Amino acid sequence: MGIHSIANACSHLQNASRARLGLTSIPNTKYNLRLMLALHRAGFISSVTRGGPSPPADLFAEPEPVTAQNVATRRLWVGLKYWDNEPVMRNITPVSRPSRLVTSDLKELSRVARGFEAGYVKGLNLGETLFLSTDRGVLEVREALERKVGGLVLCRVS
Amino acid sequence: MSIPHPVTRRLVLRCLASPPVSASPRAAVAAAAAAAAAAAAPSTCRSFHNTVPLSVRRRPRFKSVRAEEMGLTSPEKIDEWSKKNFPEYSPEEKEILQERYTPEQIAALEAGEASINPHDLTIQGRLRIDQYRMPYIEDFSTIQPIIDKRPKTKPPPDPNAKFMTEEEFTEDLMEWARKFFPEHGKDAKTLRDFVWDEYKDKPEEEWPEQARKKADKAYHAYLENSGNEIKLDLETLGPSDVDVLDYITNRSVLKGKTASSGNSALAPALMNAVPGVAGLYKTVVDPADEGLDDEGQYKDIKRITNMSVREIMTIKTKLVVRRWVSNQTRLGKIGRTQLFYIAGNGDGWLGIGSAKSTEPSVAHLKAKMLAIKNMRPIPRYENRTTFGNVEAKVSGTIVKLSARPPGFGLRVPERIFEMCRMAGIKDLACKIPRSRNPMNTIMAAYQALVNQPDPEEIAIGRGKKLVDVRKVYYGGAVH
Repeated sequence: MGIHSIANACSHLQNASRARLGLTSIPNTKYNLRLMLALHRAGFISSVTRGGPSPPADLFAEPEPVTAQNVATRRLWVGLKYWDNEPVMRNITPVSRPSRLVTSDLKELSRVARGFEAGYVKGLNLGETLFLSTDRGVLEVREALERKVGGLVLCRVS
Repeated sequence: MSIPHPVTRRLVLRCLASPPVSASPRAAVAAAAAAAAAAAAPSTCRSFHNTVPLSVRRRPRFKSVRAEEMGLTSPEKIDEWSKKNFPEYSPEEKEILQERYTPEQIAALEAGEASINPHDLTIQGRLRIDQYRMPYIEDFSTIQPIIDKRPKTKPPPDPNAKFMTEEEFTEDLMEWARKFFPEHGKDAKTLRDFVWDEYKDKPEEEWPEQARKKADKAYHAYLENSGNEIKLDLETLGPSDVDVLDYITNRSVLKGKTASSGNSALAPALMNAVPGVAGLYKTVVDPADEGLDDEGQYKDIKRITNMSVREIMTIKTKLVVRRWVSNQTRLGKIGRTQLFYIAGNGDGWLGIGSAKSTEPSVAHLKAKMLAIKNMRPIPRYENRTTFGNVEAKVSGTIVKLSARPPGFGLRVPERIFEMCRMAGIKDLACKIPRSRNPMNTIMAAYQALVNQPDPEEIAIGRGKKLVDVRKVYYGGAVH
């Protein structure tokens, strides 16, 4: 499972957020969906909806069933959040790249979460967070620490 | 068919007009003749632009109705309107007028009213009701210098005025000179006094030669004698230098006293106290200053900050950058001092101000006042350090400030140290990885301090509950 779609989604979300878009779409992959759900749990985005090439009219409607014919055109529609004239998710940068996957174990993660550097990962600053792909799914760094799992560091969001 | 370009359209129309190729030669000849006729016919109207010509003039979709057609401008309507808006005085109004004005004034008013036709007022008159109208309709009783022309109190110059001839000039000079010897000349003798008695009543032309000669001789002798008397008089009574100067400069060389009118085209001189400027350039000592600001240096900053002089003086200021800048002109270098001041109350407020002046003392004052004026609140975590790590970039200078635990101290460069002290920050670390230009350093540090992230805002944005664990464990007694 490559993570190139994650890196692309990160760049796209950052651009869309800085362009003050309300709703944007990324390719519908399982990996993207998991990351988006993790972002949604962390409060960075307002909604995640499965849909087609055009924006869904109703974000809460039952999505169209995925078939072999339409699977290539499926998109994830992501609602972006703003507060006080500023995007809630201003920076989202991938940490792991397809050419260099970065993993962190529990010890390193606990250091990073406290603001110290660990391996390739710099310490977290105020308001920053890290998303990891673990064997319990895509988790925020504090969720991973709660579950005592390490994993592949996907991106850093603030 | 819609073909926008006229040339294209003409081409297409011609193609459509020519009949299809027919089998019979006669028909072909006829078709060729028709085509030639079509080609020979002059094209209707050649347009020089490529917009589509319209067959008829474009009419608006919604037709307007003229006032005339609605009967709004008929003579009856106009009369009705003018009677309504410009009515004659009613008897009651006339009574009121009689109470206020004399019969002569009322007669004048009535004559004035009669001279204006209400119809003309309706058609041509404009009574302004907009908010920019003058505060009066017309009041000629007072002269308003801004609106009215300056009145010419003196009569206009005489159009027939001419320069004096030599004789007239001499006469004028004599007349002027006589002012100084009012007694002299009254009993002065003329030629007539020296002629024989029988010719005294006759005109000069009828005198015999002998009589004239004798009279001339006697008169010259008299003049010579009296000339000595005048010389004596000149020393005592004659015109002073001032009078002579007045004669040279002010005496008109034109014939007639009305030659110069005295009306001047020049603007009248300014008053002693010009309204709007009076008192501006004199510093008035404010008693609220308690004698701390007699020179009025704090006048502007007092107005801007709304603080008293004593409060302003409690704000600490410090010079952090001093440099010398010069402007190269063709007359040489013009050097100026540029100063950067920081101002702070030591409790979360900080400002920076920069000023340039050829006079260093002026630059000091300006920079200080600007620093005080620019003071902004600095967010502080636990009133001692920043919220997280902040970074700002000005030009090639990047300043990275890092929050530090209590007791860490200010391990920062000198200028940022002073800024932290002024702002009341006690624990901070700093890195300046790139350019360390003093000015840019303080500006970047200021930007970083002012633009710190606010944890409350972040929590609201993400919809999360935020708790500072330092204030939770050990009952918050963590220092």
